[in-house]
Amino acid sequence: MASSQVNGPARAVHSPAGWGLSLGRLFTQHPIASRVVSLGLFFLMWEIAGRVPISYAFPTFLETLSAFVTMLFDGSLFVAYGSTLQPLIIGIAISGVVGVALGIVMGLSRTAEWLVAPLFIVLQSAPMAALIPLITFVYGIGLAAKTLAVIMLALPVIVLNGYKAVRNANPSLVAMCYSFQGTKLQQIAKIIIPDASPVIFAGLRLGLAAGFIGVILAELLITPTGIGDLITYHRSVANYAEMYAAVVSIILVSTLTLAALEAFEVRVLRPEKRRG
Amino acid sequence: MSRRLASLKAGTAALAIGVALMVSSAAEAAKVRVVYGDIPSVESLHLLAAFERAKEKGVDIEMTYLKSEDIAAQAVVGGQADIGVGGPYALVQKVKAPIRMFMQLSTLRFYPAVNGEFYKTWKDLNGQEVAVHSRGSGTEAIMKLMEQRQGIKFSKISYIPGAEVRTGALLQGNVKASIVDSSGRRLLETQAPGKFIILPLEGVNATDEALFANTNFLEKNAADVDKIVEAIITTWREVTEKPSVVTEWRAKYKLLPDLPAAQVNEIGPYFEELAKGKAFPLSGGGAVAAKDDFAFYTLSGQLTGEPASLKVEDFWDTRPLDRVLAKVGTK
Repeated sequence: MASSQVNGPARAVHSPAGWGLSLGRLFTQHPIASRVVSLGLFFLMWEIAGRVPISYAFPTFLETLSAFVTMLFDGSLFVAYGSTLQPLIIGIAISGVVGVALGIVMGLSRTAEWLVAPLFIVLQSAPMAALIPLITFVYGIGLAAKTLAVIMLALPVIVLNGYKAVRNANPSLVAMCYSFQGTKLQQIAKIIIPDASPVIFAGLRLGLAAGFIGVILAELLITPTGIGDLITYHRSVANYAEMYAAVVSIILVSTLTLAALEAFEVRVLRPEKRRG
Repeated sequence: MSRRLASLKAGTAALAIGVALMVSSAAEAAKVRVVYGDIPSVESLHLLAAFERAKEKGVDIEMTYLKSEDIAAQAVVGGQADIGVGGPYALVQKVKAPIRMFMQLSTLRFYPAVNGEFYKTWKDLNGQEVAVHSRGSGTEAIMKLMEQRQGIKFSKISYIPGAEVRTGALLQGNVKASIVDSSGRRLLETQAPGKFIILPLEGVNATDEALFANTNFLEKNAADVDKIVEAIITTWREVTEKPSVVTEWRAKYKLLPDLPAAQVNEIGPYFEELAKGKAFPLSGGGAVAAKDDFAFYTLSGQLTGEPASLKVEDFWDTRPLDRVLAKVGTK
């Protein structure tokens, strides 16, 4: 929810006009209100769909919520995330370091670009869910395989974003550095990289989002551990409310993490966006 | 204007496809759609043969192979298939799905295998780690059951999905105690003779696979269901008497024509072993099997509650089996 503050401070609403108008104004002035209403409507539809029911295996929203709270308090969610986050963090750390470095090199050198870019463009459009089982043939079923799954999804996004950011660094800034007799090193360290950093950071954020997909795919396709184990186990014993709660928890965790990163990005790297 | 025309065209096309699908599904209503939650293999040859024989009796069977048993069960619940293969106890109990099992196809056949250098008996496993298929699986339940019966306690149960993976891990020495299937057991015996000890497993009788269908389907298609049940029971009895007949059936009905030679050679020993171990339920399971399953699956977590309080009729429809057994006799 941190991102809601991004769009400007909350202001009081004093509207003597009709309901429709005040509702519209409420939404524009308190963006959080529209989000709450949108989520509320979605949950209502879910509850209705669950009560119809559209399938025997489809729990209502309230059942899922209560399963979620139960799993939160009996600690099973925390234990699950403890093991799910392991390959995710290692994979993102490796992808971050390698990806940003590769991206910068590719942005600066045409040779490196020709050599490496096609690989990542292909990787980005490859059907990863089909490739992940192949990892097990080489790396087995342990942590290494899962970490690699995260890297396979996260790295292309980070590399390609970094490379485009560096390649498209503002030419007038580069020209300015040149006219001030800046060395090549100064040009890279003081002009190009700082100018590219917002897009590089955005790439990291997107890489993390892809990493979440990678780790869940790995846990569902390689061996069930962590949150993937919660999903497969509850599915196998037909605890559908718990299964959906586990799925929703992933969405919640990844959304909150990404929103926090976006807020950080806007606050620190792109102050100009705050006014917009 | 052109955009509106395009969307109109798309709409008409969608409607036409929808109507076509409805018509085709109506035309195929007489077909019995069977879903199997695995790829066809040597282990399902006798079932495929039994279906062929039911076809000869006039039941039009259409087989579909899905990724997992779980999805097969959902297909039956959702009405996209008529008969499923599996053991959907949890689905019946927890979401009150209107499906019933009507015939047991096989019981769980697993072999606890330990590395002879480290362990010799069940007691040696006290305080040791064992590897099973997954949480809530039959293999885990077997190991927990033996833990109870032997009065031992494993230090940890780890999960390695796939019996062939666990067999490989045993052979490589990554795992010292696990539980494998019959082909894994044979692999252990041929690859490393004498190295592994198969621990005795007595009195574990639980359904591995059963046939199940919607209650509605069972009411309306009793004649077809009876023919299928009869075909399977007679097939099972013939395989038990003469296991090599499966190879003949494979040739006769052209089953799994693309099977690699190595697996073709597996057919004989596989059915030989199962027949010797009396693994084929010759009377289709029924209430007796259900009672065994209640005891086993409450332990594995698939079912909840006291085994004695569970009712057979909530999970099984034994009428087709009763009718067929009245005709062919009980064994």
